[in-house]
Amino acid sequence: MLLRVKKLTVILADKNQTLLSDIDFSVSAGQCVALLGPNGSGKTVLAHTIMGDPRYIIKQGQIYFAGTVINHLSPEQRVKRGIAVAWQNPPVVPGVKLGQLLAKVDSKKPTLSLVVPFLHRDINVGLSGGEKKISELAQLLSLRPKLVILDEIDSGLDFKKLKEVGKIIKENLLKKKVAVIIITHNGEILRYLKPEKTFIMIKGKIVCKGKNYRTILATLKKYGYKKCVQCSISPDR
Amino acid sequence: MDIKNVCNAQFLQIDNRIQNISFVKGVEILPSLTAWQNYPWCRKYFSRKPRGGYFIWVKEKISFPLVTCVSLTTKNVSQNLTNLIIIEKNLDVTAKGICNSLANNLSGTHIATGKIILKEGARLNYLHWHKWSHSDIVQSNYEFIGEKNSKLLYSYQNLFSPSRLSLKTNVVVKKKAQARLEIVIKGKRSKINLEESINLQGKDAQGAVYLKLAGEKGSDITGISRIYATAPSKGHLDCQGLVIDKSTTISLVPQLVCSHKQALVTHEASIGRVNEDQLLYLRSRGLNQKEATELIVDGFLKK
Repeated sequence: MLLRVKKLTVILADKNQTLLSDIDFSVSAGQCVALLGPNGSGKTVLAHTIMGDPRYIIKQGQIYFAGTVINHLSPEQRVKRGIAVAWQNPPVVPGVKLGQLLAKVDSKKPTLSLVVPFLHRDINVGLSGGEKKISELAQLLSLRPKLVILDEIDSGLDFKKLKEVGKIIKENLLKKKVAVIIITHNGEILRYLKPEKTFIMIKGKIVCKGKNYRTILATLKKYGYKKCVQCSISPDR
Repeated sequence: MDIKNVCNAQFLQIDNRIQNISFVKGVEILPSLTAWQNYPWCRKYFSRKPRGGYFIWVKEKISFPLVTCVSLTTKNVSQNLTNLIIIEKNLDVTAKGICNSLANNLSGTHIATGKIILKEGARLNYLHWHKWSHSDIVQSNYEFIGEKNSKLLYSYQNLFSPSRLSLKTNVVVKKKAQARLEIVIKGKRSKINLEESINLQGKDAQGAVYLKLAGEKGSDITGISRIYATAPSKGHLDCQGLVIDKSTTISLVPQLVCSHKQALVTHEASIGRVNEDQLLYLRSRGLNQKEATELIVDGFLKK
């Protein structure tokens, strides 16, 4: 098992407000897992907690990575272990070129040719939604991760870009046995990635787990997340 | 240009010895005292008889940058320079001024007073680099006079601050002339006092000050930036400060003084700390806290 999240309860650092409750799931090496949920359900909080964001405090539970508890590790230590997260809304870093950051992370040439046109631009400054996603993927690839968490990597992308991003994830991550947790709101990208497990998160809890993403997507398309709230089925289906 | 590589300096002074003055066609470069003795007309630009420093008189078009370099290399040396640069009408000049300390813990003193005259239609792009060690004391007091239709871009950069820095810059902008000051300073264990003023004295004069200051490790930085508008003119002040750690204080005072009803002067000022989101973002790319902070601060100062 590469990642094991065990009975995790997370609170907001300065407000003592519970954001995630009793989260329990695992991801194996090279596996693709999808995490779906409506806005504000806690998907990004989970990604950031695994990343080591100090705003989120683990009140209960453990995060194991490659068999070791990583609760106490800093974000950069987690990166060195092999965890990398693509941010949903990456911040701008004015005055710092993307190429400069990639060179610091990995002196080798960037793996993605698509990122070359904006290597000389300040990080995320003036980039379109699609360009930001490519930039995020290029950064993750340069980290040589074992596990990537892609937070809404498909949001705001048109059909062509979605296909492009799906192809990059397949070719550069999944085929190279990198585990992928794909966080998505509408699930369209799952058609390209075909996850082996799909979780649905609502109000900070995983309320549904399934192996067939198609069934889950079809249900969501028909009924939306309302059905998930009402549904009492929580075991694997 | 590497700040240490000053082989091509037309004026080179080490401690209090002038090491080199190059012959440059169309330009007269002299020690200030020699200029005072040889050219009585230039005495009006000096407040008193100079003891040290350089005189540069650009009389004809040149196609390369003028470079001056004044360095401290010996312990406890005190430099006192009075510099004068005169650029004749309609000439376009790029100048690079380097003042630095070539070793740590020299406990040197560098005092420089300068006057730069841009005659009618002259254009000057002046890059002024300072690089000091923590034990030095530096006072720099420069005045620029921009005659009619002249254009000045003065960029001052000091990323290696001395223990004490006093920097005064005063610019007079006459009819249809333009002046832009860009001042970038990173203070580390430094007490820094800055005063800039732009005097918009002529019709359609334009002036702007862009100040970027970052401080860390107990730095105490104060800056007063002023624009005086006494003619139908435009001026803008932009002062930004970045406090890197808890032990640092930055105080910025932008001041606009307008005494002409057709003048327009504006300002923006902000002081902040290192953005937590940016910090976390870079840490999530494997940089540690120190590396991430340095990158953000460098970006702030460069932008």
